Amino acid sequence: MKKTLAILLTLAMVLSVAACGAQPSETPDTPDSTQTQTQTKAPEATPAQGEAEPPVAAVEGLTDLNTYETKARELETWNIHYSQAAADLNVLCNLIDGLLTNDNHGNLKLNAAKSYESPDGGKTWVFTLNEGMTWFNKDGEVQADVLASDWATGLEWVLNYAKNDSYNVSMPAEMIAGANEYYEYTKELTESEGAEAVKALTADEGSKFAEMVGIEVDDDAGTITYTLVDQLPYFPSVATYNCLYPLSIDLIEELGVDGYRDVTWENMWYSGPYTISYYEYQNQKVFTKSPDYWNDANCKRFDTVTVKMVESASVAFQLFKNGELDHVSLDQATLQGIYNGTSDAELKENLVEARPTKYSYQIHLVYSKNLVDSEDPDTNWNTAVANENFRKSLYYGLDLTNYFARTNAINPLSCQNFVYTGNGVAFTSDGTDYTQLVLDELGLDYDYTKYARVDADKAAEYKAKAIEELTAKGVTFPVTIDYFISGSSDVAAQTAKVLEDIFATCLGSDYVVLKTNTYVSSLANEVRKPRKAAIYINGWGADFADPINFLGQETYNDSAAYYSNAYSNCNDNDDPDLIAAYQEFTDLVTAAKAITNDMDARYAAFAKAEACMLNHALVIPCSYEVGWELTKINNYSKVYSMYGMQAYRYVDWETSVTPYTTEQMNENAAAYAAE
Amino acid sequence: MIKYIIKRLFQSVLVILLVVCVVFSLLRLMPSDYFFTEDELIKFTEAQKYAKLERLGLMKICPTCEGTGIVNDEACHDCRENELAAKGTGYVTRSTLAQLGDFFRDMLQVRVFNAKGKEVKSIEPLTLFSYLSQKMKTGENPFGELKEGQYTRLMFNMGKSIRLEKNQYVTDVIASKMSVSMKIGLLSLAVSLVLGVVLGVLQARFKDKLFDHIGTGYTIIVKAVPPLVVYTIIMIVGASLFNLPMRYDATAAKPWLTVVLPVICLSVASTAGYMLWTRRYMVDELNKDYIRLAKLKGLSDRKVMFRHVLKNAFVPLAQYLPYSILLTVGGSLLVETFFAVPGMGPELTTAISRYDLNLVQGIVLLYATMGIFGVFLGDLLMTLIDPRIKLTGKGDVR
Repeated sequence: MKKTLAILLTLAMVLSVAACGAQPSETPDTPDSTQTQTQTKAPEATPAQGEAEPPVAAVEGLTDLNTYETKARELETWNIHYSQAAADLNVLCNLIDGLLTNDNHGNLKLNAAKSYESPDGGKTWVFTLNEGMTWFNKDGEVQADVLASDWATGLEWVLNYAKNDSYNVSMPAEMIAGANEYYEYTKELTESEGAEAVKALTADEGSKFAEMVGIEVDDDAGTITYTLVDQLPYFPSVATYNCLYPLSIDLIEELGVDGYRDVTWENMWYSGPYTISYYEYQNQKVFTKSPDYWNDANCKRFDTVTVKMVESASVAFQLFKNGELDHVSLDQATLQGIYNGTSDAELKENLVEARPTKYSYQIHLVYSKNLVDSEDPDTNWNTAVANENFRKSLYYGLDLTNYFARTNAINPLSCQNFVYTGNGVAFTSDGTDYTQLVLDELGLDYDYTKYARVDADKAAEYKAKAIEELTAKGVTFPVTIDYFISGSSDVAAQTAKVLEDIFATCLGSDYVVLKTNTYVSSLANEVRKPRKAAIYINGWGADFADPINFLGQETYNDSAAYYSNAYSNCNDNDDPDLIAAYQEFTDLVTAAKAITNDMDARYAAFAKAEACMLNHALVIPCSYEVGWELTKINNYSKVYSMYGMQAYRYVDWETSVTPYTTEQMNENAAAYAAE
Repeated sequence: MIKYIIKRLFQSVLVILLVVCVVFSLLRLMPSDYFFTEDELIKFTEAQKYAKLERLGLMKICPTCEGTGIVNDEACHDCRENELAAKGTGYVTRSTLAQLGDFFRDMLQVRVFNAKGKEVKSIEPLTLFSYLSQKMKTGENPFGELKEGQYTRLMFNMGKSIRLEKNQYVTDVIASKMSVSMKIGLLSLAVSLVLGVVLGVLQARFKDKLFDHIGTGYTIIVKAVPPLVVYTIIMIVGASLFNLPMRYDATAAKPWLTVVLPVICLSVASTAGYMLWTRRYMVDELNKDYIRLAKLKGLSDRKVMFRHVLKNAFVPLAQYLPYSILLTVGGSLLVETFFAVPGMGPELTTAISRYDLNLVQGIVLLYATMGIFGVFLGDLLMTLIDPRIKLTGKGDVR
């Protein structure tokens, strides 16, 4: 009896505890493959006898794309208004259509808007919507029409302090008339009336929002009219960004304000080229072609796109070799193995150099730093970095070629970057890239055979001057440069070792010593806030197509300048020469910003300001990210925008069922250049 | 026996409660900055930070100034940050005890689902207490009349994930991951138990022969080589020779095929463990007098090995069996990360590194419960296999 009882009890307990976790997992919603294939399969065309082989771009491509992200880049929210993270926006830009998007050359391209114009030279912008656009759920069931008023609802959400926690406020607040006032109004109202009262605000006719903010919508005509604070000719590029994305009032009514903030892939509404048919956190997302998509006739889409989360680049490489991925970016060891023929040599003919990402990397100097092990100021460093000769010795002395080789072991100089603003952000009326204007001002030129900025003689000259001036101010040498990396990253540790060697070799360990420190998990909490680091190497990608988006982050005594406040702390160093240099740069930026009726003059003025910043070596330009990859995707067919959030839109991509060879990709590049 | 079980159950619950209180309090000792993302720290105003901390239950609106920061035209004394502040923050910190009280108060929750099993009302957690009190007062369902097909469920509530799976219930996150981990874990446990015990018996049977040496070699290699190296070899061999999928994929045409490599990787080490211990306990038993007697009485080797030696040698192994079964809930950090299995394995470390407090609490509570009940059930199982073992009073000497 006792034995039976014990057996039953044990079994019952094991099973009951185990059963808690053994919920049947939901069957993933798989697309109706028969239907989607019928809809999208291109007519099979066989070249006739004697006909020339089709060009590479016309190769029959993939109908289902398998791509990947590493685990650190998992999406955090499905709410497109509530995010500024690339990991989120790379997904969400496929699910909801904004007014405009970009093409493969970075030009603006019509999307939800069928036309846009400014009747007054850039202060008012009118967008007219396409007809027949709808909101649908993940199963493709139509929920509502996409209306012009959805853009007003979206903007109200972004500007409402109690709804969106200030995400994405800065751009509309700076550009749209009354937007900042409305944001401040909701903020004050939250404090006086409480959050619930503010959450109840809407963008309806007669509302406070409609009264205050420069947006007018006409659902019947399908027009959205933005009135800006000034003439802003670059405003249409902001229309590609999520701060100006639509939101249906019906969805808010269905989910509630808190419900929409916490929206998931299962209850969100879609209006873009894809819906999500399966999502498992840290495993994979499956995008499925939206049925009855309004723009189906004018765009090429995959039947499905599967984004697989992988543990590391080396696992991704194994998956690519096994045919489970359609492209892979190569880490240094794998790339060198293939290139040198020591491993997987058969893949050498498929090695393809990637196009630069939109991020322009800089060495940010910190002008007000504390000691690593106390809260006292690091006077030695703060005094040294305020000295222009010291900064210029770094600017001219550091040959970062070996550092670039960590990203691009074959052509490291492809990564070199001499200016602050990223390439391809803005162009003059004759098509000249804005960065060329800066290079002209600096007297430099891109040349991939040598590192044009490095000048050992100049560096030695500035070093001698700096030693003399700084010794008089009591600075002791070598000056320690505290640099921080994540303690859990072997890759970062190896890269930091390379940097240490560069500093020692180029400038001498009697002059400066780069000291690598580690943080546990939060750079902001452990390093940036307590001001422990002397330099940061950071990349900045533009949100819209104007140099102010870059230069505005570095201005002096400006609460909106991200890098000045969060990284360099330049406002807290009282060295008069440094302040004068910053002030000169800031004045030039302010003057350039004021030019709104002549874009060429505006860019020329910005170029002058940027050259001033670099001539004072307030920031040291570092690199672009240009790696190598194996891919079945024609890189030159993808959306290629150096600003905004459209780069991962899986529309109009050309692919090949086998990996492109180096030669084929070069042909693609040549064809692209000739377009 | 029943008295003993009730006593142990009561003790277990007490220990679990203690663990919850300690973990909860420790997590609340962290500086409040850790509740914000890097972006939020830069962009948020102080007022926004306070508002978020209030939403998370760490702060509350100052009762003195009712959130205005001003009392009688002066800065509120209860919420101003320093003597010179012209205005208070409008928020005061809540005591850990009050927060702990909320945690236990809200631990059970009623949720409404539709016919498809999707939650219909989940915006504000409705505690069991308020649900019952309202129902008793008015006799009405606090959710209003349920539509056709809708139903309510009484469920555990440990809050919502604040970072990893933003605003999803911790219980839902854990449940979905547990099922995946258990599926793979139980499969691998079955494989390793059968293989490990059988091979261990054979090693003991052919002690100091070639088979024993091969088995010992295997055990040593598996224990000595770093797991990631073993997994990489298994992955490459499995994928290139047998064309097995290299990562878990529930949407694959043959989903079961995608669990083969993770199961093999999980089984490799535990099979070696079962082999090692089965061999060791069996060799011990083989040298005992009752075995010699059995052999002298003419029992066949097979009967001696399986009917007498294995039965007794399995007792110490059996103690850990329930624990091992329950441990499958926790998954494997390395294997699940390596094969992108969306299970429990990496969840705790990721939740800690991203400061997802509610998720950390939920997972720790789960692990503590599993650990405590695993040992308890192991003790019960031992008494079944070996009746000489008594959990109460003095037992016989083995």
